[in-house]
Amino acid sequence: MSDTSVVDAELLTKYYGRTRGIEELSFRLEPGEVFGFLGPNGAGKSTTIRTMLDLIRPTSGRIRVFGLDPRADGPAVRARIGYVPGEFGLYERLTGREYLDTYASLRGGVDRGAIDELTDRLQVDPERRIRELSRGNKQKIGLVQAFMHRPDLLVLDEPTSGLDPLVQQTFFRLIEESRDRGATVFLCSHVLPEVERVCDRVAIIRAGRLVAVSDIGALKAAAVRRIELHLDRPVPPSAFSSLASVVSVEGHGDVLLITVRGPLDEVIKEAARHTVVNLTSHEPSLEEIFLDIYRDGGSTA
Amino acid sequence: MKAVLVRSLRELERAAIGWSVAVAGVALMYAAFYPSVRDSAANLQTYFDNLPDSIKSVIGGNYATPAGYLRSELFSSLGLILFLVFAIGAGSRAIAGEEEHRTLDLLLSTPVRRRTLVTDKALAITGVTLLLGTVVFVATTIAGPLFDLTVPASRLVGASLMLVLLTIAFGAIALAIGTATGRRTVGNAVAGGIAVVALIVNALAVSVPALAPVKPLSPFRWYLEPDPLVSPVRPVNVVVLLAIALAAYALAVVTFERRDLSA
Repeated sequence: MSDTSVVDAELLTKYYGRTRGIEELSFRLEPGEVFGFLGPNGAGKSTTIRTMLDLIRPTSGRIRVFGLDPRADGPAVRARIGYVPGEFGLYERLTGREYLDTYASLRGGVDRGAIDELTDRLQVDPERRIRELSRGNKQKIGLVQAFMHRPDLLVLDEPTSGLDPLVQQTFFRLIEESRDRGATVFLCSHVLPEVERVCDRVAIIRAGRLVAVSDIGALKAAAVRRIELHLDRPVPPSAFSSLASVVSVEGHGDVLLITVRGPLDEVIKEAARHTVVNLTSHEPSLEEIFLDIYRDGGSTA
Repeated sequence: MKAVLVRSLRELERAAIGWSVAVAGVALMYAAFYPSVRDSAANLQTYFDNLPDSIKSVIGGNYATPAGYLRSELFSSLGLILFLVFAIGAGSRAIAGEEEHRTLDLLLSTPVRRRTLVTDKALAITGVTLLLGTVVFVATTIAGPLFDLTVPASRLVGASLMLVLLTIAFGAIALAIGTATGRRTVGNAVAGGIAVVALIVNALAVSVPALAPVKPLSPFRWYLEPDPLVSPVRPVNVVVLLAIALAAYALAVVTFERRDLSA
């Protein structure tokens, strides 16, 4: 193991009774990186996170955070973590400010200015009672609570759920600022664009197993994309199927469905030789990327 | 960490006010009834004498004396029920309630230790129970003489103290079950069930000799015998009730430290 890793999981396994949580996950987070943890709901993302915070204990395998055991050294580990759970409740009777002040004191004191700045930037009124807040505004209180003590490690489980797009942008800036001051970020999501937007590396988890850990550029390059090309007259699929980046072509008269891996450049240049009526490109879904990675049969570094 | 205790107390703030008002109201109400009850005490006594021994042993002595009246009406019926309902509810809610409302993950993602959380919740419940005990003492001390309901202050202190200790014991049992299972209803049902069974055992043991050996297992035995409104508090009774509370508290800590929290 590396002494400098912020998180170091080794064959981390968790069963709930006989139900699978996660199986033999091994990965590392290096200081200052934004690490995306991508997978469908139920894949084991929250299970992984909750072992880092000692909310649940691994069945076997090992996890270290800041080189420490979250169980034996819980308070020391958790003091340096900011956490947004996937689903959480707040103390509904308190105002946002009372809630955040409580959390500040649970953490041994937090600069009041930091709280004000965050509530201001995320546009949530801290003087309102939490039970009066919308779901998105409750999510913002959860975010403020996670960022306010400037933690060395941010552990975020579907943090943008319920946030409107403008606030999501602010959230992404907060992530980037945290990275810039040297913090490490573990971002769980089932939405690819979110992970693409801010992550340096991404791990893909499915059915409790890590299917790939890759840097984000490589993942995108490996991802297949489906193009729907409308031309003004029928063109034989063979015109495109010979291109190196094309995985497959289906022709339906003057409409071609082309599956492409990597950059679209070749396909666009070929298409430009014909008269293009319309072109739509479908972002590869997570499922397609999974299938693609499965086809390649495993992980790239 | 002080913050956890402060938070735990604030959480019980409303309950403390509500239950204090209820306890004071019930104490005043019974005090106000006393003159008319005493006047018809002769009839009541006949009625009482005809009750089975087991029921007599629970509701106690003599309606005609202030101590007997207070014990029957306040310290072994409605007053007792108010105390137990508060403590069992608060005990099973302490951890399981946070878990069911999904506030526990965030709370324990801070540097707070699990045992600190259980301890401070238990201390907060103990504090409110002491407050309720003080209310019952003050209310009977002030209202009693207005209605000829006079019991020596030392006996009132003793009875209030024993009621507080019994309540803390059941609160701790509810805390242990709620914390071990993460489910409030289980805590309420088990602790409430234990209270009912223990009360029945205590009552029936008078007339059913077979139950005599298990009677010491009933917390009510240590609360009611000897009658704290008549005799001085016995240290052994205090110790037994405290031991039940501490054992249940320890069970809460140990099970909580060991288990997974539900998401």
